[in-house]
Amino acid sequence: MITLWTFITSNLPDWKMCAQALISMMIAIGIYFFNKYLRLIVAKKNAPIQKKENGDEHPAKSNLSVDYDENLNAIKQVISSNSDVHFREFQITDIQARATLIFVDGMQNEELISEHVMKILMSDTEKDITGINPLALSAYLLENVLPVCEAYEAADLRDLNQSVLKGCTALLIEGMPSALLIHASNMKSRAINEPSSEALLRGPRIGFTEVLSENTSMLRRQGFSDDLEINRYEVGARIKRKLVIAYMKEIVNQDLLQEVRDRIEKINIDFVAESGYVEQLIEDDYLSPFQQTQNTERPDRVINSLLEGRIAILLDGTPFALIVPVTFGMLLQSPEDYYDRWLPGTFLRMLRFFAAFLALMAPALYISFISFHPGLIPTELAITIIETRQGVPFPSLIEVLILEISIEILREAGIRLPKPIGPAMGIVGGLIIGEAAVQAGIVSPFLVIVVAVTAISSFSIPVYSAGITLRILRFGGMLCAAVLGMFGTILFFLFICGHLSKLKSFGVPYVTPLSPVRFSDWKDLFVRAPLPLMKKRPKMMKTQDKNRLS
Amino acid sequence: MYRQKKMLIILLLSSLVVIQGCWSSKEIEDLSVYAGLALDVGERVDIERDLESQGAKYLKKNLVTATVQIVPIKSFERQEKSKEKQLLKYSNLRLTGDSIFEIMRQYSTRRDRPVIGHHLKVIVVSTKLAQQQHMDQLMDFVLRDNDIRPSCRVFFSKGKAYDTFLIDQPEEVPAFRINSMTQNSYRTNKVMKEVNLTQLDGLIHSKQSFLLQNIVSSNGEIEFSGAGIIKGDSSKWIGDLNQENVESLSWIQGNGHGGVIKSYDWRNQTISYEIKSMKSKMTAKLKGDDISFHVSIESKGRLIENWDINENPSELAYLEAAEKIFEERLAKMLDSLMRKMQSKYKVDVAGFGKNLSIQYPQKWKKIKGNWDEEFSRIPVTFEIKLTITDYGSSTK
Repeated sequence: MITLWTFITSNLPDWKMCAQALISMMIAIGIYFFNKYLRLIVAKKNAPIQKKENGDEHPAKSNLSVDYDENLNAIKQVISSNSDVHFREFQITDIQARATLIFVDGMQNEELISEHVMKILMSDTEKDITGINPLALSAYLLENVLPVCEAYEAADLRDLNQSVLKGCTALLIEGMPSALLIHASNMKSRAINEPSSEALLRGPRIGFTEVLSENTSMLRRQGFSDDLEINRYEVGARIKRKLVIAYMKEIVNQDLLQEVRDRIEKINIDFVAESGYVEQLIEDDYLSPFQQTQNTERPDRVINSLLEGRIAILLDGTPFALIVPVTFGMLLQSPEDYYDRWLPGTFLRMLRFFAAFLALMAPALYISFISFHPGLIPTELAITIIETRQGVPFPSLIEVLILEISIEILREAGIRLPKPIGPAMGIVGGLIIGEAAVQAGIVSPFLVIVVAVTAISSFSIPVYSAGITLRILRFGGMLCAAVLGMFGTILFFLFICGHLSKLKSFGVPYVTPLSPVRFSDWKDLFVRAPLPLMKKRPKMMKTQDKNRLS
Repeated sequence: MYRQKKMLIILLLSSLVVIQGCWSSKEIEDLSVYAGLALDVGERVDIERDLESQGAKYLKKNLVTATVQIVPIKSFERQEKSKEKQLLKYSNLRLTGDSIFEIMRQYSTRRDRPVIGHHLKVIVVSTKLAQQQHMDQLMDFVLRDNDIRPSCRVFFSKGKAYDTFLIDQPEEVPAFRINSMTQNSYRTNKVMKEVNLTQLDGLIHSKQSFLLQNIVSSNGEIEFSGAGIIKGDSSKWIGDLNQENVESLSWIQGNGHGGVIKSYDWRNQTISYEIKSMKSKMTAKLKGDDISFHVSIESKGRLIENWDINENPSELAYLEAAEKIFEERLAKMLDSLMRKMQSKYKVDVAGFGKNLSIQYPQKWKKIKGNWDEEFSRIPVTFEIKLTITDYGSSTK
């Protein structure tokens, strides 16, 4: 027994080793709690505020009275402080009654109003409105006189005011106890253009615009289906905006749909300026560098995702729709993969995976090869690199950082440059960075190749925001490589893999066909199988209807 | 206050990570690569003598002179000088001592950039050194070192190994030239199949006799010529095979990819046979206790050169006669090799022993301790079949 004990004690590590082990354990535990703490901050702030606002927000309904002047004054009191609200008073000749049109300047179709409302009321109409009881006048006008499509009665003063501010034209007639709201809004919208952030060679050249109704109609126009459902929400506490979710009701997973609805209802913010706000308010993990919703300007991309069982979120006032849930494979897919035949589609997709790897790892690999593992470079190349790097005063990390940061600045500047001088600046910047930096001995020519390949690779990623993610992570990789060489690079890669396999987007694992493994979904991951082979919808979406073919 | 303290602690902790910095990094331009290693009999060069006379001494026996070929030398030095004349792309550095590893580290006292072994391509050992020292001792460091790749090739040099690391073309690196020349074995079977460190490790530790390609050199020119023999049990160099022997060896082993058999016909005119394919089958026969080997060689080729203007190669009879001549020539070459192996040096370097060990492992176990001796008494018969498939694009 004693011998056993002495055997054990003689093999125990000394106190230094124990202390090291303890410290490394403490670090791991510390990171865990720090992470938990960071997440808690957002969870608290984002919690839905359970306020009963209904009581304060809706005072007792104040209906319009029969008295014309009183009504007009009441309205004027509330909204006439706005300089763009116009009151147009006129006489209806037939019944000798005064009337007022209330509208916001620039929001209504003036031609329609003057042609189909004022002209009819002011001139002698064929319809006889003289003998009608003023109380029934509004109904009569709607049914028999006014030839406009969207018009309805409003008796509540508050409703009336809001509608006017939203763009309706209100018609108030003496003796009539309610107002007529004529919906003839004429929002200026831009022409439908090809989406500039997602241009394709083959495929529809149509992109979303800023008008929600146009966008939803674009989705409807993709092809007829009674399956497509579009639900409307209003988001924003102070300024309200329309938001719709679109899904295929016989395909989509009901739990997923409920989750999306819940999260949208929880959105609690003053004003939703762009779908990026929505994205950030409903995402799963705000600390992840990877996006958890996909934004797109392409209706075809949206409709394809809907058919896979995903859900689209469209916001008024932005051409960017959101698709949830997103998986890693989607970030490297382009609609063109499906429009082209399967061989080119597969080739391009593989190329993109390779490019994504390069965009993420190339500078890190360069640093670890140059600074840590000269033996892994082919001999002839090693000799050339030694020769070219001899004048370079910096270690490889600084060298790479100089060039990478200048490229990033150049790229950022390129977005903001006015169109006519954009290309010129690109050439100047490229020349200076590429040629002169080498001549000046700041960087080695081999690095210029590495950085150029990296930059080009990150542009080949079809989803722009995914490219930015890789660009950010690249710097992390470079630091890891500079500290620990290839070992650090591999650790960094494993760290990303670990994070990705833990990440979820609306309950769907981020790297799902890979982990958890779903081999049947691999048909549409690295390769794009021929269409007849893809008989099933992606398993990962757990759709109601599993088959693509009827 | 508490909050500030917490921040300070986090800052200090993070500095632990940051100040470590790139602790094991070594920029590639701060290192130099040695592409070749030449081992000679210990003989101090003049500079070394001079340095030692000034007190640059440490405890050593001058057994081995190791030369490393360093590439590239500093490029801006080269750029300046290259205006005047073409400057060498490499530099050779020689040191003498009795431990290869110590010599390697001693280089750091002579040059600013330490040498790294990852890109070592060739090791050349002079036969004179291999005669004095045991091969397993000489190779011990290079086999043990983690940096040096197992694909590094090993050669013998007839003269001084240092001389093979000189070159008359300044833009070329001699070590790379030697390394690439081994790829020419598809042009002539006078170039042996390479022996790299992995194979050498096995050969040395199994106490087998083996061959290393010989290099001869003169004024910056080199030639692969024959091979040096290392005797298995003594692990020392005992002699050479000439170029013809190396050719014959490739016929016995059947591993040649191309080459020539040149002979003279009945009018004493040159005729040459271009080897297109080569096949050999070695069989061991055991009758009681008597071992014998039979090697059958088959080859297809082309009559590629015919100086005999009186003969017409398009005639079948002539081709058959030529086949006979080539077969006789090959038989003579094989005979000369066998005599060298069995009588002169009493070593088996053609792989007969391996063949026996596969066919008759029991018998092999009994005699393997004394195989080289045994082999010299074993009869070997040959059966040669050369076929001339065509006579090129000229009929006459």
